[in-house]
Amino acid sequence: MSTDPDAETGVDAESTTDADVESSTDTDAESEPAVPEPDISSHQQRRMDEKHEGMAERDAEAAAAAEADGETTHLRIFRYDPEVEGKTEPRFDDFQVPYEQGMTVLDALIYARDHYDSTLTFRHSCQQGVCGSDALFVNGSQYLGCKTQLNEFDEPVRIEPLPHQDVVKDLVVDMQHFYDQMDAVEPYFEPDELPEDDLEEQRQTRENREKIKLSTRCIQCGACMSSCNIAAGDNEYLGPAALNKAYRFVMDEREGEQRREERLEIVEDEHGVWRCQTQFSCTEVCPKDIPLTEHIQELKREAVKEDIKFW
Amino acid sequence: MAEYYSSFESGGTRWFLQRVTAVILIGTLAFHFFLLHFVNHAADINFAGTQARMSQVGYFTTMVVFLVTATFHGVNGIYNALVNQGLSGTPKRVAKYGLTIAGLLLIGQGIRVALAMAGISL
Amino acid sequence: MWAWVLHKFTGWVLVGYLFTHIAVLSTATGGATLYNDTLGGLEALAIVRLLEVGLLAVAVFHILNGIRLLFIDLGLGLDRQDQSFYASLVITGAIAVASVPTFLGGL
Repeated sequence: MSTDPDAETGVDAESTTDADVESSTDTDAESEPAVPEPDISSHQQRRMDEKHEGMAERDAEAAAAAEADGETTHLRIFRYDPEVEGKTEPRFDDFQVPYEQGMTVLDALIYARDHYDSTLTFRHSCQQGVCGSDALFVNGSQYLGCKTQLNEFDEPVRIEPLPHQDVVKDLVVDMQHFYDQMDAVEPYFEPDELPEDDLEEQRQTRENREKIKLSTRCIQCGACMSSCNIAAGDNEYLGPAALNKAYRFVMDEREGEQRREERLEIVEDEHGVWRCQTQFSCTEVCPKDIPLTEHIQELKREAVKEDIKFW
Repeated sequence: MAEYYSSFESGGTRWFLQRVTAVILIGTLAFHFFLLHFVNHAADINFAGTQARMSQVGYFTTMVVFLVTATFHGVNGIYNALVNQGLSGTPKRVAKYGLTIAGLLLIGQGIRVALAMAGISL
Repeated sequence: MWAWVLHKFTGWVLVGYLFTHIAVLSTATGGATLYNDTLGGLEALAIVRLLEVGLLAVAVFHILNGIRLLFIDLGLGLDRQDQSFYASLVITGAIAVASVPTFLGGL
C-alpha cells in the first residue's frame, strides 16, 4: 500500500494519525505499572520508512511535473465569513493550483482547500454532475464546478458564489428561496385516479415520456434562477427551475385532466409563467441542457388556450 | 390565492393582448413612419396636408386604432417592467391605477387632436 | 440577455416619445399657424433631425426584435433565437444608416 503511487495523500494522513494514536496509547501504557513498553517492531519500522520514502518520492514527482509543465492555474476565489474578523468584508484570495490535464473547477477548489487553506468553504458531493451541489459563478457565468474543465477559462479564474442569493460563507449561498419556489409548484406525482383492473403500474406511453424526458433532468443546482434578471428583481417569481418542474407534471399524461388544470392555475399566477421575458439565460447556463425557456413558453401557450376557452 | 382566482384576469390576458397589439403595431407603426418620413418628408408637414389626410375616414380610423393600440402596448409594457423589478403591494396598485388613468388621458387627448386635425369640431 | 435589455430600453424610449408626440401634435387644436410654426420650427433644428434618425433606429429595433419574440412565443425557430437577435441588430443598423439622407434632407 505504501508503494502504491496512486494512493491519495489523504489516506497517508490517516495512517499517520493512526500511528500517532498508537504512540500516545503507548505513552499511557507507561503510567500503568509494570507493563513493558513494546518496541516498534523492525518490520513495522521498515514499512513506515518505506511509506515515508514513497510519499517523499511522489511529492518530488508532482513538484517536478508541475515545474516541467510550468503549469499552475491562478485562481481568485471569493471569501466571506461574517463570523471571522478578517473576512466580514468580502474579498478575493489568490491561489496558484498545479494544473493537471482534465482538471475540473471543483478539482482545483478541492486542491486549494486541501493544500492551502482549509477554511475555504464550498458545497460539493457527487463530483459527477448529479447532485447539483456545486453550481458556481466562474468568470462571470454560471457553471457546475464538477463538470467544467478548468482550462476553459482565462486566467485569473475568478470563482464566486451564485449571484442574487444571500451568501452564507465563501462560495456557499442560501438556497432556501430556490427550494420554496420549487415547493410552490407541488413537485410530486399525484394522479387524479388510480388505474382500473387492479393493475399496479400507471403506464406512460413512450412518446409522453420522451416529451417530458428533458424536464426530468433537473438537479436543482440553482444556476438557472441565479441567471434570470427577472428572478433577481421580482422575489415572487417562481423561476425557471420551478416552472420546468411544473411543466414536467403538467405534461405527464398519467396525472389526469383535473390535476393538470390545478397545476396550470398555480403557474398562471401573475408571478408565474408571465414573468418570463424569454431572456434565455436560464437555458444557456443549465448544466443538464434542459430547454427551460422552451418549456416555459409551452406552459404560457397552454395557459392562454385554457383562458380563451372560458366561453 | 384571491389574486388569481378569477383566472381570466390573471397575467394571461394582458400577456396575450400585448402580443395582439404588437402584431397590429408592426403594421401601423411601419406605415406611419413610411408615410410621414419617406412618402412625405417630415420637414414638409403642414396643417393643410395633415387635414387632407385626416379627413379620409379610413386613415382617421387607422390613426385612432394606432393610438389606442400603442397606448395599451406601451403602458402595459411599463407596468410589466415595474412588476419585473419587484413592485408589489400598495405601490403596485397605485401604479396600476395611475398608469391606467394616464393611458386613458393620452387616448382622450389624442382623439381630440385627431378631431381637430380632421377639422371636425364637437 | 442583451436582447431583453435593449427591448426594454427601446420600449421606454418609444413610450416616452408617444406622450411627447401627442403633446406636440396638440398644437393642432390651437389652429393651423401654431401647428405649422411649431412643427416647422422643430424640423429646422439639426438636433431634432438627428434624434429622428435615432427614433427610427429605436423603432425598427423594437419592431424587429418584437417579431423575433413573437416567433419565440409561438415556439418557432427557438434553436436560432440568438442568431435572430443579431440579425435584428444588423438590419436595424442598415436601415438607420440608409435612411440618414432622407431624414437629414432639406436641412
